[in-house]
Amino acid sequence: MLLADVLRTALIQIRANKLRSFFTLLGIMVSVAFLIAVIAIIQGMNAYVKENVASAMIGSNTFQVRRTPLNLAPVSDDQWDVIQRRPRVTADDAAVVEKAVPNAEAVSLQSGWPTPMVDIHWRNRTLGDVLIFGVTAPYQVVQDYRIGAGRPLSELDVRDRRNVIVIGAAVAEKLFDDIDPIGRDVRILGEPFTVIGVNQRKGRVLGQSFDGFILMPISRFEMLYGRRSTTTVSVKVPTAEDVAPAMAQVEEALRVTRGLRPGEPNDFSLETADALIAFWKTLTRVLFAVVPAIVSIGIVVGGIVIMNIMLMSVSERTHEIGIRKAVGARARDIQRQFLAESVALATLGGLVGVASGWGFASLIATASPLPARVTSWSVALAIALGAGVGIVFGVYPARRAARLDPVLAMRAD
Amino acid sequence: MSDFLTSGPLPTTTGEHPISTTAERHAVTSIPGATPGRDWVIVTRGLRRDYDMGGEVVRALRGVDVAIRRNEYVAIMGPSGSGKSTLMNLIGCLDTPTAGEYWLNGVLVSKMSDDELARVRNKEIGFVFQTFNLLPRATALHNVELPLVYAGISSAERKRRAAEALDRVALSDRMQHKPNELSGGQRQRVAIARALVNNPSILLADEPTGNLDSSTSSEIMKVFQTLADHGQTVIMVTHEADIAAHARRVVVLKDGMVASDDRRSAFTARLGPDGQHP
Repeated sequence: MLLADVLRTALIQIRANKLRSFFTLLGIMVSVAFLIAVIAIIQGMNAYVKENVASAMIGSNTFQVRRTPLNLAPVSDDQWDVIQRRPRVTADDAAVVEKAVPNAEAVSLQSGWPTPMVDIHWRNRTLGDVLIFGVTAPYQVVQDYRIGAGRPLSELDVRDRRNVIVIGAAVAEKLFDDIDPIGRDVRILGEPFTVIGVNQRKGRVLGQSFDGFILMPISRFEMLYGRRSTTTVSVKVPTAEDVAPAMAQVEEALRVTRGLRPGEPNDFSLETADALIAFWKTLTRVLFAVVPAIVSIGIVVGGIVIMNIMLMSVSERTHEIGIRKAVGARARDIQRQFLAESVALATLGGLVGVASGWGFASLIATASPLPARVTSWSVALAIALGAGVGIVFGVYPARRAARLDPVLAMRAD
Repeated sequence: MSDFLTSGPLPTTTGEHPISTTAERHAVTSIPGATPGRDWVIVTRGLRRDYDMGGEVVRALRGVDVAIRRNEYVAIMGPSGSGKSTLMNLIGCLDTPTAGEYWLNGVLVSKMSDDELARVRNKEIGFVFQTFNLLPRATALHNVELPLVYAGISSAERKRRAAEALDRVALSDRMQHKPNELSGGQRQRVAIARALVNNPSILLADEPTGNLDSSTSSEIMKVFQTLADHGQTVIMVTHEADIAAHARRVVVLKDGMVASDDRRSAFTARLGPDGQHP
């Protein structure tokens, strides 16, 4: 029997029972669609985190010297106790860092974690719970902020502890509507401040705005909040390749300054955007482990459905099998025919699943900021999975059909 | 039908055609293991078939010696339970004997594997069944194509030969009809076209008129007659004496053994006044 005839017979059979075929491949379809969509979403999120989240939070080609690590993963109580006993990161440390990295583009000092929130008043308007950072002038450069209107904070503002602030685009919009905020006097914690600049919008990342903040000279910030809290030093280097050597230099210099003996752990944390990305990757690794488990359950169930339908089909078509055998079909011809049918069904299920998964992913891509990306390897995997299920679960019914005795089979109705 | 019946020179059917003689048959069936000559289409020697029916052994055939020469038109007759269906399954290579030899065209098929038997069915045997056994969802053309599909013949060549076979049974205008759109006689003619499409050595008919009314029956019997007159070896299994009487030679089975094996004239002479076999 020619291969073309095997396939043709299978497709005729599938087409003759459209509704049944559809329900047969529903399980495979849903599983594959789920697989495609979830992988697309994870891939999209990965790309998104890499492109937006990390640089929005830390800035590109930048690392930080922090008292507490930027670790989003759980930390044990013992580790936490050690971290709590670390000395503060101060302006002195910033000076050491600046000396250690002569090629740095900018070194800034900013108020450390946790970041306080304040109410900001203008005339009879109030905007509540706005994040407020005390920063030095280079912070603007380190964070890749672009000034949208007015001017950024200057060295003089910091040195003279001026009552000036730069605000994020979201704050400007909510507090001033269409009015130009530059030069307006607002009140924070009962004290007057003048808005000197508005930063350009950075956008929202995972539902969190990076435009709702107040930047204040760190010297003025410490007058409000005291000088006892820690600060964070940020270093921006020209290229990504400069990050690792600069970090090594900073680590060396700080260990010397702080008098740490060899073997003693650092009493400060060095963090890059990579730490965020790494954390994100551990999160998605869990997803990558869980999704195949769910999908394989779906696929196995789908395969069992196919096997059942094929067994039913074999017993329904016993008479037909008898006729085919009588006119010269060998056992392997019958086996191939039924196997081709289950493989065609499962592959069809895979294809429809890929299409609907793709559709779902692009729906997400248009309706949300997540750039869901369907990767070619996931499509190949899904189709291979479908065909594989068809073979594995099609063999048993096909064998049964092939082994039927022609005389007994023709006697069946 | 008329153009089919009149195509080619028709010998007159007086009922006395040359058939193998009893002595010739005895000569070829009595030497176990000997390869029969090429002109013997079917030779069985001591053919036995036992069925195990839940521990009880039913001996359907108890040693059948039959020899059929090329171009013979033979009816195998017998009441139900005589073993004629079992014999037809064995001759048709749908089943294998418990003991004995079956030679088809000088080839011992009783020892063949299932796959080899399938090939023999495909190449050497054309079946016509009582219940037609057509694929219900396939067109007449596709039904006739089916043996050629399993012979591995290309689609275009298949269609050409199937159309030709349907033309021979005067169904050219019904090629795209499905079995349920055809009359009983037409369905049986489709089955005959399917049986003939691969040019088999034997046409094996099992109660071919069992599901047909008398006028359609005689129409189908005329088709067999014409095929036999053109040299097709025809073997017909039936329990009806008047149908068996269409063949040139009648083998009567009784209790799994050959009771008689005569030319038609001898067979009809033995029939009772009611036309029933005693």
